[in-house]
Amino acid sequence: MSKEVELDCLGEACPVPLIKAEKALEGMDVGDVLICQIDHSCAMKNVPEWAREQGHNVEVEEVDDGEWEVIIEKVK
Amino acid sequence: MGDEQQAVQGEGGIKRSSRTRTRKKKKNQIPLGIMALVFIVAVGIILAWTVGGNVALFWMLGSSFGFILQRSRFCFTASMRDPYLTGSTSLTKAVLLAFAVTTIGFAAIKYGAFIKGLPIPGQSYVVPISLATVVGSFMFGIGMVIAGGCASGTLMRVGEGFGMQMLSLFFFIVGSLLGAAHFGWWKLNFIVRGPRIFLPDVFGWVGAVVLQLLTIALLWIAADKWAKRKSSSSSH
Repeated sequence: MSKEVELDCLGEACPVPLIKAEKALEGMDVGDVLICQIDHSCAMKNVPEWAREQGHNVEVEEVDDGEWEVIIEKVK
Repeated sequence: MGDEQQAVQGEGGIKRSSRTRTRKKKKNQIPLGIMALVFIVAVGIILAWTVGGNVALFWMLGSSFGFILQRSRFCFTASMRDPYLTGSTSLTKAVLLAFAVTTIGFAAIKYGAFIKGLPIPGQSYVVPISLATVVGSFMFGIGMVIAGGCASGTLMRVGEGFGMQMLSLFFFIVGSLLGAAHFGWWKLNFIVRGPRIFLPDVFGWVGAVVLQLLTIALLWIAADKWAKRKSSSSSH
């Protein structure tokens, strides 16, 4: 059974969401889903870019004005 | 419920079991955008009438610059930080490209004044370089990564309504004021001791532009190679 982790990065400035996501993903199994909640426009760019670069499945949803959820499915 | 289930699955097909928040209906932002545009143009016209054309031009350029900065997610901080942090150099390359464009543009402006025998504009920005430049930029680099943005990035994100960076902006102003107040001492004791180099004086106009573009091109290639190497070894 794959699990789902929500990561609250609201109010965190740029490199912090990325590092948090990196750390959280490390402790997860293949097939697990990480939902990273962010509201910093810069993290909106580098978190998905990094995760795609790593080969994971990535989706971005704008939940509210200026608030996003980056959904990362761990692939490897 | 059926509608929401579909929305949860999305186009990419990542399955999510939970949906903690119900989605708020997003407001259409286009009317607000048009209002902002009308406001910016109106202020520009008023400035041109009352203060002068130059100030109106600064206003329009500043507004456009901010808009482009926000939409493009252009970030000088990330351009310096991400190569180390994630191995991504897309912003590094964007900044280098911007440097290349401005190199040509500024060389044209300066050379244009030079061949007409006019004083070359912007020469007061040719300031001495020394170890102080290196130490200062290193400190600025640490500061901007912690603050989450350089000067333009901080201003842009304050405009987006990001709370933490309003704090950054406040202390940015405090620091700038302190720096300005003590600048005379630093200038006298550290800055003026370095050599003042204007590249066209040393290499000629063509030589200076070619040398600078070549340097930027080499950095671009290095950034490209760095990203490829990082992504091929990123199995951690």
